Amino acid sequence: MTTPPEITQLLSRVAQRDRDAFKLVYGATSSKLYGIVLRILHRRDLADEVLQEVYVKIWERAGDFDSARASPITWMATIARNRALDEARRKRPASIEEHPELLNVPSADEPALDLVLKGEDGRKLASCLSRLEPERRQIVVLAYCDGLSRDELGAKFGQPANTIKTWLRRSLAQLKTCLSS
Amino acid sequence: MTELDDINGMAAEYVLGTLNAAERAHVAARRLREPALEAAIVEWEKLLAPLNELFAGVAPPAGLYQQIIQRLSGTRAAGRPGADVIDVTRRMKRWRAGALAASAMAASLAIAIGVDKFAPRGPSKNLVAVLQKDAASPAFLVTVNIEQKLMTVRPVSAKHEVGKSYELWIIQDSLGAPKSLGVIDDSGPMLRSTLASYKPDVIESATLAVSLEPEGGSKTGAPTGPVVFAGKMIETSK
Repeated sequence: MTTPPEITQLLSRVAQRDRDAFKLVYGATSSKLYGIVLRILHRRDLADEVLQEVYVKIWERAGDFDSARASPITWMATIARNRALDEARRKRPASIEEHPELLNVPSADEPALDLVLKGEDGRKLASCLSRLEPERRQIVVLAYCDGLSRDELGAKFGQPANTIKTWLRRSLAQLKTCLSS
Repeated sequence: MTELDDINGMAAEYVLGTLNAAERAHVAARRLREPALEAAIVEWEKLLAPLNELFAGVAPPAGLYQQIIQRLSGTRAAGRPGADVIDVTRRMKRWRAGALAASAMAASLAIAIGVDKFAPRGPSKNLVAVLQKDAASPAFLVTVNIEQKLMTVRPVSAKHEVGKSYELWIIQDSLGAPKSLGVIDDSGPMLRSTLASYKPDVIESATLAVSLEPEGGSKTGAPTGPVVFAGKMIETSK
């Protein structure tokens, strides 16, 4: 297990074009990042392509990483989510018939947030999420983790996309108020 | 009920992931030039980051690392940087700390690399936009002759990715979604007339953005890949 300070150290070496350090960063983080892009994209072929692009970006931008602003894994997870979301918005959703591997993707059931979210920030977020109505909370988590668009959320919850947008904005405002209290 | 203002709402939905492709491209371009939006995005990333715990690890296929290494070796610079470009890079680095008026930077940059050599001929005023990821990395320089509506796109340090194309977009509030100005994959200066249908005041207040698309450009008419560079149109004295 590589600790965050160790990954930070490795990233500063990657910024100096150190390929050995890059390999260690890949070893320590690729399963997490692959888990992210695969869950959002639901397709291994796309996830493979996107993961490559994510690590090329990490290689190119390692010098921009600022440990005062985020943990290294958060920084990399943000790059991975952004890239996967860009790709997800581009492609039509895959059907299970075409891609049986979809069945292996972790299900979108609502997890026990208070058990999973760690640390002070995590516990606070779990507590604030628990104050949202269950359906609204599920929408926030499905959007963040499974990359569902407003249209897809609308189809899933039987609502127009505009209603989803209103719900999302209100839920996010509520979350922000709760988190800053 | 507390409501989020526009900037915060947009930033929150961007981080949550619920914007559509055009909206994502719009925010990705704006964050490069709007510190308030950038700060809001960073704040939301931090607030929602604990949710990353919900992603279970999945081992990527063996051999993927090797493909990444091949990709790192396969990227090549678009265009051979000449002495002028190296000079520009030095200047940009010095400007980075100051982050002074973008207009001064763009105008000086235009002079530094001898933009006039490439700018469309004509007595009228020119516009210039430096398309960049950040102040130290100008990737494309765009100059526009506003009367002739001719545009020259000059790669400065953009790296061409095999199997991908750079596509240029114009973004301005009155246009709604970003509009394509064409693929910009040449290694040298490209003269384009794709601005012809836009009004001068729209061009003057526009932001240009470059997205990374499948080879040949977006098939949908909207940006589909990540926005990699952006910059605002600035008037330059001639």
